[in-house]
Amino acid sequence: MATTLLEAKAETNTAPRSTTPPVSNVIQFPSGLLGFEQLKKFALVGRTQEAPFLWMDGPEDSRISFIVVPPRQLVPDYQPDLADEDVKFLGLKSPNDALVLTIVTISGPRRATINLKGPLVINARTRIGKQVVPVNADDYSSEYLLPVSK
Amino acid sequence: MLVLTRRVGDSVVIDGRIRVVVLRVEGDSLRLGIDAPSEISVHRQEVYDEIQRTNRQAVAPRQAAIPKLPLNKPSNRRPKSEICGLE
Repeated sequence: MATTLLEAKAETNTAPRSTTPPVSNVIQFPSGLLGFEQLKKFALVGRTQEAPFLWMDGPEDSRISFIVVPPRQLVPDYQPDLADEDVKFLGLKSPNDALVLTIVTISGPRRATINLKGPLVINARTRIGKQVVPVNADDYSSEYLLPVSK
Repeated sequence: MLVLTRRVGDSVVIDGRIRVVVLRVEGDSLRLGIDAPSEISVHRQEVYDEIQRTNRQAVAPRQAAIPKLPLNKPSNRRPKSEICGLE
């Protein structure tokens, strides 16, 4: 289910970024993001040439965007252990319903990190997401260095 | 700041729906139990601060260049489950 959401976007999102993204890509974050609690709605936008990265655009007037990426391929042994409260909050019935994304920080032309300590977990069925702190967050870095091409 | 004295086993109630219980005291460590509705986020301060700082640094201008990753070898290893909290 999670992959379907991503694939659908990669195929349909060839329009310029200024156009309104399809409604199906809008993700509700009822708690916002940590430090951005007021931002409760993001549009997930993917373009084929930027894969595996996706844009997560906040409300237009917020002028805030994040670059996100599914950590699965980048960090194969990444296993965020969700707190029961978060599973309940997200209404996750099966691991297959969960889309996990990590926020990318680009701090130079050759330096990008992802935050494994505060992943975004999205229920792909309900399109409700939350930035969670996994129970095992201490095992992971908030600045995990990505391999970047020269 | 409101300051209260509590013993092990005692609790405080916040807003009628959040309960904080003192579970154990060991030296200068205090173990707390927190019962709150699932829409209330509870974090350790230093973890919250770290993620908040990281989020702020991650805000990207909408036309930012996205890094190219050397992802030549497709990973055949599929983790049995991405989230272990669900089993």
